[in-house]
Amino acid sequence: MIIARDLAPAQLDSPLGRTSPLLKLTISIVWLVGLATTVSVGPPLALALVTVAAGLTIGRIPRRDFARALAPLWLATIGLATFTTLFGAANGDPSAATIAQVGPFRITGAALAAGIGLGCRIAAIGAVGAVFALTTDSTRLVDSLVQQGHVPERFAYGALAAYGAVPRFSEDLATLRQARRIRGFRGDWHPRLLVSLLVLAIRHGDRMAIAMDARGFGSGPRSHYREIRWGWLDLVVAFGAVVTLVLALATR
Amino acid sequence: MATSPGRIRADGLGFWYRTGVRPAFHDVSFDLPAGSCLVVVGPSGSGKSTLALAVAGLVPGEIPGEVTGTLTVEGMAGMVFQDPASQLVMERVEDEVAFGLENLGWLPEAMLSRVPEGLADAGLPGLERRRSQRLSGGQQQRLALAGVLAPRPRILVLDEPTANLDPDGAATFFERLGGLLDMKSATVLLVEHRVEAAWPLADLVLALDRDGTPIDVGAPGDVLARSGERMAAAGIWLPTETVAAVSGPRITAPDRSASPVVIADALRFGYERDVPVIRDVSVSIARGERVALVGPNGGGKSTLGRLLVGLLRPDRGQVHLAGHDPSRLKPAELARLAGYVFQDPESGFLANTVAEEVGLGLMPEEAARMPELMDRLDLPLASFGARSPYRLSGGEARRLSLAVALVRDPAVLVLDEPTFGQDRHGYEGLLRILRDRSDAGTTLVTATHDLRLVRDLDARIIEIEDGWLATG
Repeated sequence: MIIARDLAPAQLDSPLGRTSPLLKLTISIVWLVGLATTVSVGPPLALALVTVAAGLTIGRIPRRDFARALAPLWLATIGLATFTTLFGAANGDPSAATIAQVGPFRITGAALAAGIGLGCRIAAIGAVGAVFALTTDSTRLVDSLVQQGHVPERFAYGALAAYGAVPRFSEDLATLRQARRIRGFRGDWHPRLLVSLLVLAIRHGDRMAIAMDARGFGSGPRSHYREIRWGWLDLVVAFGAVVTLVLALATR
Repeated sequence: MATSPGRIRADGLGFWYRTGVRPAFHDVSFDLPAGSCLVVVGPSGSGKSTLALAVAGLVPGEIPGEVTGTLTVEGMAGMVFQDPASQLVMERVEDEVAFGLENLGWLPEAMLSRVPEGLADAGLPGLERRRSQRLSGGQQQRLALAGVLAPRPRILVLDEPTANLDPDGAATFFERLGGLLDMKSATVLLVEHRVEAAWPLADLVLALDRDGTPIDVGAPGDVLARSGERMAAAGIWLPTETVAAVSGPRITAPDRSASPVVIADALRFGYERDVPVIRDVSVSIARGERVALVGPNGGGKSTLGRLLVGLLRPDRGQVHLAGHDPSRLKPAELARLAGYVFQDPESGFLANTVAEEVGLGLMPEEAARMPELMDRLDLPLASFGARSPYRLSGGEARRLSLAVALVRDPAVLVLDEPTFGQDRHGYEGLLRILRDRSDAGTTLVTATHDLRLVRDLDARIIEIEDGWLATG
């Protein structure tokens, strides 16, 4: 049985944890759109650093968990930045100034700048995503989407139930593979697995839908056990986010 | 604030699924007074679950079909299903209990007092913020019950609520159900195979035959006296039966001194890092031996079973299956040596029809065994061969998963909960086949909660709890 790692109460009760998930989602999107308006290195780097700092302070994300969540991201960042630098189109431009020669590779200033720019951008996107995921409880996210974002309930809670079934998916897949192996079929992968997996998912979904309807889901207006209201904290965080973005875009 | 239980009356009630070739059940009549308990029994495919869905108001509606006769259900009904994992909607325990209340538009203040009350009644206090996936199977099922009871339904419908639970989990669940009936807080309709636990709760018993025809309805004692024989003939478990009533030749005692065919040495295994499921397990199983892996839900029985036949590779330690490391065997060789029957039959199906499913990857001489085996398992190819494996009743799907493993005649056969949801015919058929196989020298390893099966197989018990061997 595989279960998503639990967020510590400290993370959930931290200022970022108590901030409206809808607001955090909005900030993330606005920041990423803001990043798209510039090609320079400064803004993404500044946003990445501020995000990591915020995650550690007002998000109270334990360093170990944070490092673990960011590890694949650093690899991707370094990998893609290196790749872009080494194979950048600018390296083929004879008029560009060579700043280094690594074995067979001639590296130009333009290619290096493009590589670093891409790396910072990926780092920023990844850091924002990690802080969002590590300070947001999925139930609270859905409550917030429904109560503050007026997302249709049937869709939102259906999606939450589906999200809860994701671990079941990977278990089903493992079992199906074992079922093939014990019957003498080699190979880890076969299109039939997809068909069986789909059938199992649909049947699980059907059962879940019946269980939800059996409990009166969709029978009338719903009330909310956990009411989520806008607060001062949201205003402060929103203000901070806008100021950060403006300052970051001003760096060069 | 307490509501009174409601009365349920059925008069000539029947139901045809739109896709069915005959009614799921028909001509069912009973009058269940408020606050009493009706236990519905019947062999697999007799329409018990459909009747439960009808009383809960989910059929027709959720599933299309045609109703005949009349059904009067006084007040709101709540329903608890068999599988905890596919009825818990929310991520956390308290949200799960609140879910039904939110749907009915309860005020937040009322919910804030009702949710902890419901959890305390269910014996789950203090677990409010826990993820429900982290609870044991027994706790999950009590949570499902708490969620259904929170809005104080006047009718409570339960469809084999303890089928997936270990004996302790089931006993606690029935205790809770008995408490509810003592307080007369709801009228209960209970579909259940575990007769020894369910019959004492019953005020009325309704017995259905294979084709959905009612055999009898009345007070438990009267029904037993009047129709006990017919019920037994239909394959219904009766509370008066003892294990000895299961017929068949005694199996010969295994020769424990025979050379071991399965050796597990200091196994350690976890699905996640730092979360061992099997901690340090060593077992040796002789050729032809019959072994029962028992222990609570989540203790590691299924995982150990899979390790023994190489479906999982241990993190530490070694498995020898007839001298090989099974996790490194070529699939074709593994299939000849070992068979595995998965706990959830559907999760192991790979074909579009029953005949294809059984015939998948068979050698010609194995395929020749198919028709006779399918007849013995009461799944004759003539009538079942062309059907989809996913459109079988629970008991039929289980027997198909057995057929898939038995048709190969492997040297070692591991079965994960082979008897659950089986009526008596299904059970006896399975037992006869397993005894024959054992007499022919097949090594049987069964992970099970079914103590009756352990006794009928005369199996050596290996108890696993929390990844450790309790006895060996």
